[in-house]
Amino acid sequence: MIETEARVEAASRAARLNAVFAALADPTRRAIIERLSHSEARVTEVAEPFDMSLNAVSKHIRVLEASGVVARRRRGRDHILSVNTHSLDEVDSWIDRTRRYWETRLDAMERLLRELKTDH
Amino acid sequence: MDRSEMTGPVVQIRRRVQAGAEQIFDLWTKPELMVRWMSPFPGAVECKASCDLRPGGAFSLVMSTEGSIREVSGAYVLVDRPRKLVFTWIGPLTNNVNTLVTLELNPQGDETDLVLTHERLPTSAIFEGHTRGWGIILDHLAEAVSKDA
Repeated sequence: MIETEARVEAASRAARLNAVFAALADPTRRAIIERLSHSEARVTEVAEPFDMSLNAVSKHIRVLEASGVVARRRRGRDHILSVNTHSLDEVDSWIDRTRRYWETRLDAMERLLRELKTDH
Repeated sequence: MDRSEMTGPVVQIRRRVQAGAEQIFDLWTKPELMVRWMSPFPGAVECKASCDLRPGGAFSLVMSTEGSIREVSGAYVLVDRPRKLVFTWIGPLTNNVNTLVTLELNPQGDETDLVLTHERLPTSAIFEGHTRGWGIILDHLAEAVSKDA
């Protein structure tokens, strides 16, 4: 039972991370995250600097909300967006793990190259 | 071009390696050499590798030690010996999600500038392609990669 739960948990973690990566794979969405990392903001404030319709920006915002990177709350008539830094931590940790993995593999590669040199 | 503009978060490592590009390329693509450095398990370990070195060809690395078996597998997207090698990669490191590895080797005299780029594939369609078959997916990837060059 516990094993199944662990598998399900791992699968949903992978799915969440996929959603975050997909959310980040767009320069407009990355710019939105950058803006919100300074402070929360109204949807109209977030949309203002972009050279596209409010509708187009809203589509990007919805992708960000679906991935969990951005959260929305109501304040009277305004919709306030904020960034969920915890979801970005998962990306950072994937980057760290992957980098560490390759640095270790490349160290081993270089050791083997030195060995092969001295074999001659 | 900044690759991260295209696909989002990317891990990129650069190293100046004291060896020629041909030899480094061999270490990445010959099974009898791959097994000597690609395994993350220290000490004596059984490691099997297979390599079908052409676009669409598969590779796999099966590493076993007491009580543990790990497999990495993928397919080659671009094989341009000894300058560039691009392949998909799926295994324990990637949580069994499909990713793309690009190896670039730039000769600098007797040494080589190595650039390794690892990124997650940007769309779920490509992820699904891993289980359904490579054909069209690889064409798209190869096309995207050749525009970069």
